[in-house]
Amino acid sequence: MILASVVSQAGELPYFWQAPEATDREAFLAEPMPAAIQVVPTELEGPVFANAEGKTLYIWPLRGLRNGAVGDRRNTASTCEGTIYRETAGLMSPYPPGYLLPEADLRRPCEALWPPVLAATDAKPIGKWTLVPRANGLKQWAYDGFPVYTSDLDRTAGDVLGGRRYEERRGGSETGALRFAIGPLPDVPAELEVRSSNTGRMLVNRKGFTVYASKSDARGVSHCKAECLKTWAPVLAPQLAREHGEWSVLERSPGILQWVYRGQPLYIYLPEAGAESRGGQVTGNDEPGWYSVFTQRALPPPQPFTVHDVRMGQVLADANGKTVYLYHCNDDALDQQSCNHPSSPQAYRMAVCGNGDAVLCLEMFPYVTAAAGASSPSRLWSVMTIDEKTGRLAEVGQPGAIQVWAYRDRPVYTFGRDRPGGTDADAWGEFNGYRNGFKAFWLRDDYRANAFGP
Amino acid sequence: MSFHSTSSLAISLRVNPLSVRRSLAAMCVVLSLTAQPAKAGELREATSTLRDGRIGYVLTHRYYSLYETEGGKAECPQGFNDGPREQFKKLYPPGKKLSVIDAQLQWEGSQWHPSTSKYRLPFHEGQGRISFGLNLDGKVGAEDFLSPTGEPGIDNEFYRAIACIDSFRVGGSLYNFENTFLQQYPDSRLLIELTQVDDLVNDEEVIVTTYRGMNPLLSDASGKHYLPGGTQRVDLRWSKDYVFKLKGKIVDGVLTTDPIDWIMVPWAMTANVTAFQEFRGMRLKLKVTPERAEGLMAGFIDVQRWHHALNTNLSTHHMSYGRVSSPSVVAALARLADGYPDQTGRNTAISASVDLKMVQVYLVHPTSKADLISSNR
Repeated sequence: MILASVVSQAGELPYFWQAPEATDREAFLAEPMPAAIQVVPTELEGPVFANAEGKTLYIWPLRGLRNGAVGDRRNTASTCEGTIYRETAGLMSPYPPGYLLPEADLRRPCEALWPPVLAATDAKPIGKWTLVPRANGLKQWAYDGFPVYTSDLDRTAGDVLGGRRYEERRGGSETGALRFAIGPLPDVPAELEVRSSNTGRMLVNRKGFTVYASKSDARGVSHCKAECLKTWAPVLAPQLAREHGEWSVLERSPGILQWVYRGQPLYIYLPEAGAESRGGQVTGNDEPGWYSVFTQRALPPPQPFTVHDVRMGQVLADANGKTVYLYHCNDDALDQQSCNHPSSPQAYRMAVCGNGDAVLCLEMFPYVTAAAGASSPSRLWSVMTIDEKTGRLAEVGQPGAIQVWAYRDRPVYTFGRDRPGGTDADAWGEFNGYRNGFKAFWLRDDYRANAFGP
Repeated sequence: MSFHSTSSLAISLRVNPLSVRRSLAAMCVVLSLTAQPAKAGELREATSTLRDGRIGYVLTHRYYSLYETEGGKAECPQGFNDGPREQFKKLYPPGKKLSVIDAQLQWEGSQWHPSTSKYRLPFHEGQGRISFGLNLDGKVGAEDFLSPTGEPGIDNEFYRAIACIDSFRVGGSLYNFENTFLQQYPDSRLLIELTQVDDLVNDEEVIVTTYRGMNPLLSDASGKHYLPGGTQRVDLRWSKDYVFKLKGKIVDGVLTTDPIDWIMVPWAMTANVTAFQEFRGMRLKLKVTPERAEGLMAGFIDVQRWHHALNTNLSTHHMSYGRVSSPSVVAALARLADGYPDQTGRNTAISASVDLKMVQVYLVHPTSKADLISSNR
């Protein structure tokens, strides 16, 4: 057996993360907004819309699940209201509807978990912002037709704990109907897009091919010529390209313009850009001096974490090189409440990690524990106190309480059976780990789309 | 090294009595090979795909070797097995108010932790004495099968476990599903490269190396048929774990390898999964031509790994399509396992056979420079 494993400190790999002192922030296109709405920067999702208090705004777009669709339809009133659902809806095959939900007596209504963003009685539509009525007669803001909410998980400005950034293609029916953070359009040329990866906002072209830059180039000057151009294709700009903000062009030869971002000439890696390429690969980073371009990246995770080679790419690993896993969960009620937070019912996780046996769960999926006094440069990471038997939040010093690392306010785990380099718990649980289960913390996946999250 | 044989050899791969009724059965073939006296020099001349003693192939189709009669009357006289929907309905009949914890999560918990499962459900094993496969232990035992052509000593207990699960049978959902994903995504892009080949018809010693490729398959304009002559980049950045070497020989165009004690074979399906299989004592028996390689991969499948691959590849929903009950089939595999006992004497692996179809490809190996970069990052 030939092992393909490389362990390094996460902080030594700037490709994934930006240095704590870096100030890179994604520029965005200003658009008309209600006075009570603002744009706030976030570490992972770029600029997002927020209410006057700075709380991130979310939408719940209609999602077709296996046995029906659920969520909000465009230009209609919210379906997230005051009903407390006590039974499953049977939207996720193969289980029938009508089963009693766990901890139904403690269940809160959708509108308590996702407070609607209400508008003043005299509010008027502006730009993409419109108004939809709520059942109680109040008005709710909608963006691009979808009613808008905040999340009760978010505490301070810049928190995005209720969901990832909305992208048309993001997620699938496996996840359940998720909520998504919304934000303004990134300020990128029409030839390019920004795609949210698990570590930042990456530039791709309209076909989804990763955009690169070279350390060999000087500011606004390309040194990629002749032989280099057999491997790297300049990202061409139209004759009418408008230089503005962080964007400029260089003229490679008379009439041939190339986009330049923050002084870096941009390229596509031709081995990835064949007609049959799946897109989203980042193999060009293996060419010395070349790197993927992000509008902004997250800060490195805390020191104990490492990066590990696995059989499709790279994952975040603990100090011992064991792959780190995130737990995903959405229930099957009509309001699709998430169940991946320590404040939500733990019965789902307990079932897939140990068939209801808390001890087996800890053996199969131990928490990544945090040392006393541990802290993180990235606000995506925190130390959380957990009752290891119940999986619930606990007080420091409480019997059975342990300090664990949490990512986006959810504990992270390793897998008891993994060897370093293994990802045996990736896709462990319902619907390939997306519905009630575990997915590895993917940083790079050259075979599939794992690094772009659910 | 080459030699010439005038003997004839017939190997039977997959014979499907349903081939007229079910179009997919057309993929199953009987390979009858007769002696083809040929001089090595002439063959090399005509075989441009064999260069410097090397030829590569990429996997295009993979099916568990299943001997089927019409409607399963011979091998499944009690009918086919229930899947999750049917079993779930029997365990938790409609009309009784139940909770998610007592029903759905009980099922999922049993699926992921079969040793803790309390379910005891009926399961139909395949009957009869005929099966495809190879004689893995060189013996002829009472439990062994006869091949359809009458060869005794065939070891394929895996066949007993899955013969009566509709999903694995010709035209079943997994029969198709596995291959759809295998063809569409490269993470199960199994490559083999034959080296030290003097003659693709008769050569007493060749080396077979397995790799994983990263490129799409080359298809015809319909997209349904895969063609020889494509190119595959050998991935040594992430796929070193899938590199294994087997010794083999070619007799009358049939490559037979020695068994390898342990091998990992990529086996991922569905969305963003990373599954693989572990085989013990695996060997290949493939008819090789300048364009194609077709035949069997047989050995002992690690039961725990197969269970893991099944569950991570397929959700309960996906398994319901073709009536695959994970708790039941895994219990059957554990019961029928016939090789590689652990310290307690419990067998950990089960004899099995898989049909492979491959087409010739040109393999592009990474340069030493690129490999160096990879290993340093």
